Amino acid sequence: MARKWKVVIGILVVAVVIGLVSFRDLWQRIQRLSQSQTVEEQARREVLAPPITTPTDVMVNAKLFWSAGQDTLAPVDTPLPLSADPVQRSKQVLHALIASPPSAEQRTLPADVEILGFYILPDGTAVADFSDALASETPSGILSEQQTIESIVQTLENNVPTLHRLKILIHGQEVDTLAGHLDLTGFFDLTPPAQNSDSSGSGISGTTSPNAAASAAGTAASNSSVTPASASPSAPASAPSSATPAPATPGASPASPQTVLPPRRLYLPLRPPSPLRSNKNHCSFHSGSLTRNLI
Amino acid sequence: MVVLDPAHGGTDTGARGENGAVEKDIVLQFARAMRAELVREGYRVVLTRDDDSNPSYDDRAAMANSYRDAIFINLHVSSTGTLGTARVYFYQFWTPLPPPAAAVSSNADKSTPPPIALTSTPGPTSLIPWDQAQRPYVDMSHRLADQLQAQLATVFMGSPGISVGVAERGLRSVTAPAISIEISSVAAPNVASLSSMAAPLGVAVGKGLQSFRSANSAGPK
Repeated sequence: MARKWKVVIGILVVAVVIGLVSFRDLWQRIQRLSQSQTVEEQARREVLAPPITTPTDVMVNAKLFWSAGQDTLAPVDTPLPLSADPVQRSKQVLHALIASPPSAEQRTLPADVEILGFYILPDGTAVADFSDALASETPSGILSEQQTIESIVQTLENNVPTLHRLKILIHGQEVDTLAGHLDLTGFFDLTPPAQNSDSSGSGISGTTSPNAAASAAGTAASNSSVTPASASPSAPASAPSSATPAPATPGASPASPQTVLPPRRLYLPLRPPSPLRSNKNHCSFHSGSLTRNLI
Repeated sequence: MVVLDPAHGGTDTGARGENGAVEKDIVLQFARAMRAELVREGYRVVLTRDDDSNPSYDDRAAMANSYRDAIFINLHVSSTGTLGTARVYFYQFWTPLPPPAAAVSSNADKSTPPPIALTSTPGPTSLIPWDQAQRPYVDMSHRLADQLQAQLATVFMGSPGISVGVAERGLRSVTAPAISIEISSVAAPNVASLSSMAAPLGVAVGKGLQSFRSANSAGPK
């Protein structure tokens, strides 16, 4: 082989080696950049809202509901030290829901959201007070707002079994909607769906049953509203506060198949039922002609 | 009477896309295109806003409530979701009914006023709270939503086959069959691609209303 060709081959080999080394370095830099974003976010959160620890903390596999697509939530078994006190326990799971999504794509609550307060009334009504970021940074839309609320509700429902319903406040105030669409003036039912029984007779059974049936049959209604028992387990996923410690599994792992967003069960406030409360706030019905007159 | 309600308006822009799409403007386009299509089919149509104003939820509902046999269609464009799909929603209540009046009168404190009847067929003089006005119409709204969703699924591939019950604030005080349609999304490649959905949306809604009207003889015209 001519000397000239040997030189050319040598140069090519050196170039390939340099390319491989550079590519590896480039890859490592990309990895570091993506990690630093997470680290920065975590550091900020730790300053703003340090993890909550209590003397009764027990390591359990909490079931946290994060996004699994544009219209679905999936429970993820996440080892967390959870308190026996339902208030602290609720704060802990909500804190983890905000601070520790497995990936950015799975995030359901804005990273800057803070839990300003969490209270439980004697009747089992929970009141969660979130910072403005929940309203201002949740993407506007029925679908996105429903996913955010479902994520909160299902996470509480599956990890704090003593809660019966949830009221969401934004910066201490009741607000009309989350981000322009989803009604926040009522209370969200926290009873696992299988334990619910519809006694309203006002169309709720009609709204739920067909969808649930469609889901159970695995029909094309995969994007629609369903509350299958299999999708929202009736039993709490993690042990109650008094449960024995569960083995801590390193890292989070998917717990069960994806959950299609169920219809959220909204309790409207049962205000004093006086028909004379305010003229502006009532309307009269004449059933014969369905004439509606504002009075 | 069909009451078309383009959501948001004024300083409330709704969802915004990086392509410049602004929800309040897109839904107004949709509403105008739908009005043209529905009027052509013989429906009487009114918009809750035909400019960049932002009526309150109650004002929008009151407009619908002032007509007999109205149908209320609230229009949105989402921030998320599969591009080019449409979803139809109806309001979902989950409030237990108050106990029967007799039981209440025997048990309740005498100073407590009697509960308001919340039945699916309001009596001639019954009153219901403004914030639960949609309650008697939930079944009808659900049927309407399913009819429209079925039509939209044939036009916008990837859309779900049946509607979804959700607590959408804009529907709560409407005393008529009321649904929301949400188009995905402001993340479309460009505004033109969103605008191009207006005409087929109008046609699909027209067909859905026709199906609903056939199934419920008391539909609007």
